[in-house]
Amino acid sequence: MRRRTVAKLGLSSLLLSATGLTLPAQAQDLRTITGGFDVGPGGMPGNFNPMTATAGFTWLSLYFEPLITYSAELDKFVGLLAKSFEMSADQTSYTFHLADAKWHDGKPFTADDVRFTFDLARNAASGSNFAARLSGITGVTAPDAHTAVVKLSAPNAGFLDTITKVMMLPAHAMAAIPVADVARNAWWSTAPIGTGPFKFNRYVNGQYVALVANPDYRLGAPKVDRVVNRYFENTAGAVAALRSGEIQFSYVESDDVPNFRADKNFRVIEGNSYVVNYLGFNQEVPLWKDVRVRRAVMHAIDRASIIKTIYGGAALPANCGYVAPAFVPAGLDPYAYDPAAARKLLEDAGWAKINGDKPITLITYYNTPQASNVMAAIQAMLAQVGINVVPRIVDVPTYNATVYAAKPDFNAFPLVYAGLQNGPDPSGINIGLNEKQIPPAGANIMRVRMPTVTSAFDAALAETDAGKRPARYQAVCKAMNEDLPWGTLWVTSRYGVVSNKLKDFTWVPAPAGGPYDAHPERWALAT
Amino acid sequence: MAARSQGPMRRALGRFASNPAALAGLAILLPLLLAVIAYPLWLHFGPNDVDLMARNAPPGAAHWLGTDGVGRDVLARLMQGGRTSLLVAVLSVSLSLAIGFVVGALAAFGDRWADSIAMRCVDLAMTLPPVILLLVLASIIGTGIGPTVWVIALLSWPVLARMVRARLLEVRERDFVIAARGMGAGTLHLLFRHGLPNAIDIMVVYATLQIANAILLEAGLSFLGLGIPPPAASWGNMMNAAQSTVVLEQYVWQWMSPGATLVLTVLAINFIGDGLRDAFDPRSGLN
Amino acid sequence: MPPQVKYIIKRLLAGVAMLLGLSVLVFLLLRAAPGDPVDAYINPSAAMSPQDLAALRTRFGLDQPLPVQYLAWLRAAITGDLGYSLQGTGDAVLPLVLSHIGPTMLLMGAGITLAVVFGIAGGVLGAVRRNGAVDLLLSVLAFLGISSPAFLTALVGLYLFAVRLRLVPSGAMLTPGAPFALGDLLAHLVLPAVLLSIGHTALIMRYTRASMLEVLNADYVRTARAKGVREFSVVARHALRNALLPVVTLIGSTIGLAIGGAVFIESVFNWPGMGLLMVTAVRARDYPVIMGAALVIGAFVLLLNLLTDLAYAAVDPRIKVG
Repeated sequence: MRRRTVAKLGLSSLLLSATGLTLPAQAQDLRTITGGFDVGPGGMPGNFNPMTATAGFTWLSLYFEPLITYSAELDKFVGLLAKSFEMSADQTSYTFHLADAKWHDGKPFTADDVRFTFDLARNAASGSNFAARLSGITGVTAPDAHTAVVKLSAPNAGFLDTITKVMMLPAHAMAAIPVADVARNAWWSTAPIGTGPFKFNRYVNGQYVALVANPDYRLGAPKVDRVVNRYFENTAGAVAALRSGEIQFSYVESDDVPNFRADKNFRVIEGNSYVVNYLGFNQEVPLWKDVRVRRAVMHAIDRASIIKTIYGGAALPANCGYVAPAFVPAGLDPYAYDPAAARKLLEDAGWAKINGDKPITLITYYNTPQASNVMAAIQAMLAQVGINVVPRIVDVPTYNATVYAAKPDFNAFPLVYAGLQNGPDPSGINIGLNEKQIPPAGANIMRVRMPTVTSAFDAALAETDAGKRPARYQAVCKAMNEDLPWGTLWVTSRYGVVSNKLKDFTWVPAPAGGPYDAHPERWALAT
Repeated sequence: MAARSQGPMRRALGRFASNPAALAGLAILLPLLLAVIAYPLWLHFGPNDVDLMARNAPPGAAHWLGTDGVGRDVLARLMQGGRTSLLVAVLSVSLSLAIGFVVGALAAFGDRWADSIAMRCVDLAMTLPPVILLLVLASIIGTGIGPTVWVIALLSWPVLARMVRARLLEVRERDFVIAARGMGAGTLHLLFRHGLPNAIDIMVVYATLQIANAILLEAGLSFLGLGIPPPAASWGNMMNAAQSTVVLEQYVWQWMSPGATLVLTVLAINFIGDGLRDAFDPRSGLN
Repeated sequence: MPPQVKYIIKRLLAGVAMLLGLSVLVFLLLRAAPGDPVDAYINPSAAMSPQDLAALRTRFGLDQPLPVQYLAWLRAAITGDLGYSLQGTGDAVLPLVLSHIGPTMLLMGAGITLAVVFGIAGGVLGAVRRNGAVDLLLSVLAFLGISSPAFLTALVGLYLFAVRLRLVPSGAMLTPGAPFALGDLLAHLVLPAVLLSIGHTALIMRYTRASMLEVLNADYVRTARAKGVREFSVVARHALRNALLPVVTLIGSTIGLAIGGAVFIESVFNWPGMGLLMVTAVRARDYPVIMGAALVIGAFVLLLNLLTDLAYAAVDPRIKVG
């Protein structure tokens, strides 16, 4: 440490001797945690409005709070601004008992704020992307200042999952903003008020956001004075900042993990990505109608080897949309690597007539070096059995414009390599597989029309008994495994790296960045 | 600048042959080109032969330059990448030379209107921010060799056009050009009889530098996710592997091989270019 | 009115017309590219329904016919309103773009100054000592500089000087959250500026050398030599002035391109300049920001071209403006 300082001073005096300047004192009077909280797929740099966020909740939940949140293990709901909550027997009414919290400006948090927030979030005019998901709410009432009741028109198994992302907003501070101006308002990035352990301090466009401690936080004053979220254009920059000690935390790509594992100054956090990667067979092109062709693809790809080598073991093979033990029944076909069987299946299906060795575009939006390695491996393995795929790596908007087009050119995406969120709530993949979700209704972009799969999903979604739900999703899994609407590949791990200077730090690579019970007020810096 | 006979040509070649740097350039470039073109004959690995059990292997007896992240032979990819990168470079530079010279020369030799229009075109092309041009062209025409050639050519011609114009504006005032114009010489005659010889040094220097630039631009396009998309090989997208710090630190052969080859190629092309310029410059013989 | 002033006014008017052309061109190019701001907003692994997306398109006005969208933009732009970013919470475009010009000018100014000084000095030295040891060494260095991809030198430089040696910070322009200090700024500036200057130095050096050699052979220089003018004086007074003509063009174009930002260096070092702004805007298909940035950059480049042409007239009396 001292040597570094000396070197730094040496260089700077060299640099600055001409101008007679010196570096500012590096010692900060304030205890500051600096991190790359919006790096990676869970981040959404530059977004401050939780109602339009599709990610970035790790950071947002440092100053905003939802009523309930996921536990840090992402396996159950825990209260945050609601001390506790009950559901009525018919599952159409939820009662939240509110914590005794205060907004950052000192005003009390009440049931009025809950009503205000839900009314705003379910109003599409506010630009909220929760409008569709909260459309089942018929009304929010406030029997007293510390109790809020949300009424639904029908039971909704995904309701609690949805509201973990609905951050409570201050009615008194936002009431003056017309609803239509909420989505695009300077309030979010200049003076937002939450109830969380940190208060918004300042945003420097494209560079960083700084928060300061909220000493009045109801669960205890934070252990540090400030938290700074630095933005990085690419992860290489974040990795460099981590290793040079400028930041104490960042998401990293799995390629970079071995370096940090070997370094005792860092701790690597590994977690489930909750995204199942699959090969999507476009059912509108004549290539994949025969289930034997789809089975051949599964047998042709040596998933075990790819996981072992390219992913360094940090992925679970997926034989259906799920890998969580609760949703995976016994007796699934494991589709072991067997090129001979794959060739036989293709021959039986008449692949020479269906396509032969004509090139098939495999389009993906995953554009990391690791993903291009995976593409190369899949291309080589499929070539071995006589399926000639040509990977095409594009950026996210190009991918979405291709697959979501109002009048899609199906020949532009006969095969996709993609991912869809499969947890913690297992209903997430319904939108991509249920026949009722074929666009424009939903996002079944591969136009999967498989009655067994659709009916299994419908049964699972309609199940009101939480205890019976896992069995319903096991049926979904079974149907997916048999009919192969997708060639399911794996669920990978995601990583965060934390400096050992950071104590009592909770982070999980949750989809969209959470939220989850992170207790930022406990985060501390070693002295 | 009398009628060209075999004489000056032979003399130019003679001058070229006595330039050691230029010969050294040829001695590097020709074997390299030969190796790149004929690599399937002497290398038994293909550029897309994946071997997951032999990934990230350092250079050794089996893989002379080691293997990459999926066990592909780096040498094979280097050769295949060379085909791609050199093709992109040569095509795009030819294209931008043609556009740049014609526009620049027309501006210099034409009347005020021609000059004005040509230069405003140049200005417009130069005012368009490259990132936008890069992204949009790459996305409209797709990624791959053809689009990359167009993107690079369209990005680079305006600089040349301005330089050609600057040079020829000065030439225009010389006696022999004024005489030619006075005798009613056509535009084509002016362009190729007086314009080309007097701008050739700029164009050769530009072309040699731009070949390198084109290879680099292709690499940069790959870095931004445009350019030649993997798993096809190009020197640019091979170097892109250095984005991962593990590759940058521990698997140096994966990015240093294309990097070193690129530098060597550029060096050779530049030596040859310098030699050519000296050889074809009629004044240099008087030294 | 003196002819120079008339000329300048004429060029400025032409510039306005060109900016109009530029805005049409950029607008059309953007709409031709696949994917719109809404496509960029969807996280493919957390799918949204096409109905939600249609609602978003309506809110952004993307469902209007193209001419209507362009005219709406133009009408606002004439009054100085370049609209709002479609990312995040929607910053106003004009202040957003202007706030990124300063950092880019700083980085580019530092990088190009280094490049001009070392490039011209090296080029002249190489030409005068043609084919000598110094010339050879400079040539090799120049070729190395020219042939290293900017993103690779940036990555290697970042790794060596920020991660391994820890001499300089790894990125950004100022230490986040710290009060402004000039020393802090310079510490963040030095590495990207030096890395940026490498390619430009090499390029300027090569052109200066080639141009110098050309001029040293010209009749008037030889006449000067024959008249017994001292070699230093030949180089400095007669040759350099004329040799710099094409180099001035090159520097002019370099600066012109520079305002667009050093895309690679800025994105590796997270330098908050135009390059970074454009890359993120393009990735998000943030139409208003791209249009606004193109307009501002275009205006800047046109102004610079005018200045370059005036500079010509200043260094070469044979060229008249107008």
